[in-house]
Amino acid sequence: MGSGSLTHPTEDELVLHHWGEDDGPEVARHLQDCADCRAALAALRRDLQAVPVPDPPHRGEDYGRHVWLRLQPRLAAEARARRVGRLRPFRARRPSSRLFVPLAVAAALVLAFLVGRHWPHPAPPAAISQAARERILLVAVGDHLERSEMLLVELVNAGGGDKPVDISSERQWAQELVGANRLYRQTAMRAGEPGVASVLDELERVLVEVAHRPSSLSAGELGQIQHRIESRGLLFHVRVIETQVREKEKEGTQTPVPGGKVVS
Amino acid sequence: MTSKPRDGLTAALGERLTERMAGGEDEAQAVARARDGDPEAFRLLVERHSRDVFRLAFRMTGNEHDAEDVVQEAFLKAYRKLDAFEERAQFGSWLHRIAANCAYDLLRARARRDQGVERREEDESDPMLAVPSGAPGPDRLLVGGEVRRRLKAALARMSALERSAFTLRHLEGMSIAEISRALDLDTSAAKQSVFRAVRKLREALGEHVQWGAAP
Repeated sequence: MGSGSLTHPTEDELVLHHWGEDDGPEVARHLQDCADCRAALAALRRDLQAVPVPDPPHRGEDYGRHVWLRLQPRLAAEARARRVGRLRPFRARRPSSRLFVPLAVAAALVLAFLVGRHWPHPAPPAAISQAARERILLVAVGDHLERSEMLLVELVNAGGGDKPVDISSERQWAQELVGANRLYRQTAMRAGEPGVASVLDELERVLVEVAHRPSSLSAGELGQIQHRIESRGLLFHVRVIETQVREKEKEGTQTPVPGGKVVS
Repeated sequence: MTSKPRDGLTAALGERLTERMAGGEDEAQAVARARDGDPEAFRLLVERHSRDVFRLAFRMTGNEHDAEDVVQEAFLKAYRKLDAFEERAQFGSWLHRIAANCAYDLLRARARRDQGVERREEDESDPMLAVPSGAPGPDRLLVGGEVRRRLKAALARMSALERSAFTLRHLEGMSIAEISRALDLDTSAAKQSVFRAVRKLREALGEHVQWGAAP
């Protein structure tokens, strides 16, 4: 075999060697003496070279400016939320319960929509056209996602010290969102939108968790919730769906169910 | 920014910062200003790094639209975490890790969505399946169609984690340690993900050799 050491490197070790991430000099030393392993390394490199390094679509010099223009409103909202958070007590930041009246109406419409869609009627309800119902549904889902996003942002930005954090306001807020969320998740599932349903399912778990927590959380307990939100990219996914729903809302789409896909 | 004079002042400050940063001077200062709540300083960081973040996001997600979403999310996340940024670190590397994490999240969501569903036409335009520009490849590339088909099979068999780790290592040149930080893994898990991805790739290419025992 002609190798200077007894043990041939494994494929994994050659992979690390290829990228200069060896754990020690042994593989390099072995390769000097072993023609078979050098051939194996060359074969590995040929295979890796077969994977092309793709050029991304062109983005011009002013791309950064466009990114900034899209980003700016969200940053401004974020900064505003932080300022409000600093100036006002936590419990005062919950949206007024009157906001949930339209939500409840929309939820009822969703139910009516589902009933109409899945259980055939001899005659469709004449009071509201299907297009109008779809539009109301999109608006309601968009608002639900926006409020959920606000709640998640508040939770993510809450705390920051070792002291217990009062989440009584967020808890009540979560309790109010859970029911509508469940309805939207079921709608998405029945309408064959597993991506949307999956995000709403994850959102619902967080909402339920917050709703069932005590009013006062230790920093560690709050950290667990924050980790759950951040590690699964929940805020991101909620925003993606919200954006898509809002776009559909603008387009006045004919699609009967909210959401589209999580990603295109 | 509610009045013209203030706009003018801010713009002037922005131009001065842009000039300094264009000369490669003191990005740390812009980061420090952004941490103090100066939106103009953060704008400069966004404008400076957007294209690099987009490139990374595109390579990881393989989709232009998704990449744009990742760019937005990465900057938003960076803005939120500015306080946690260590001044001695490179802002660009830190931002890339955040972007990689966002792209990984998106790939996981996509995997959940695609569970049990045939992948769609977008795979056809996956940048990982594009014929490389420039450098001459191995002889196999002469039969590019077959290689593409096999690469496609390999990519389809990779998990979101494997594909992310492999892309970051192979295409972006991130070290295993950086990948583990970007994807919230321990080093060993990052390493194993890269190994599994390489194995799947080589198996799909059809010339996988078991040389662990005796070459």
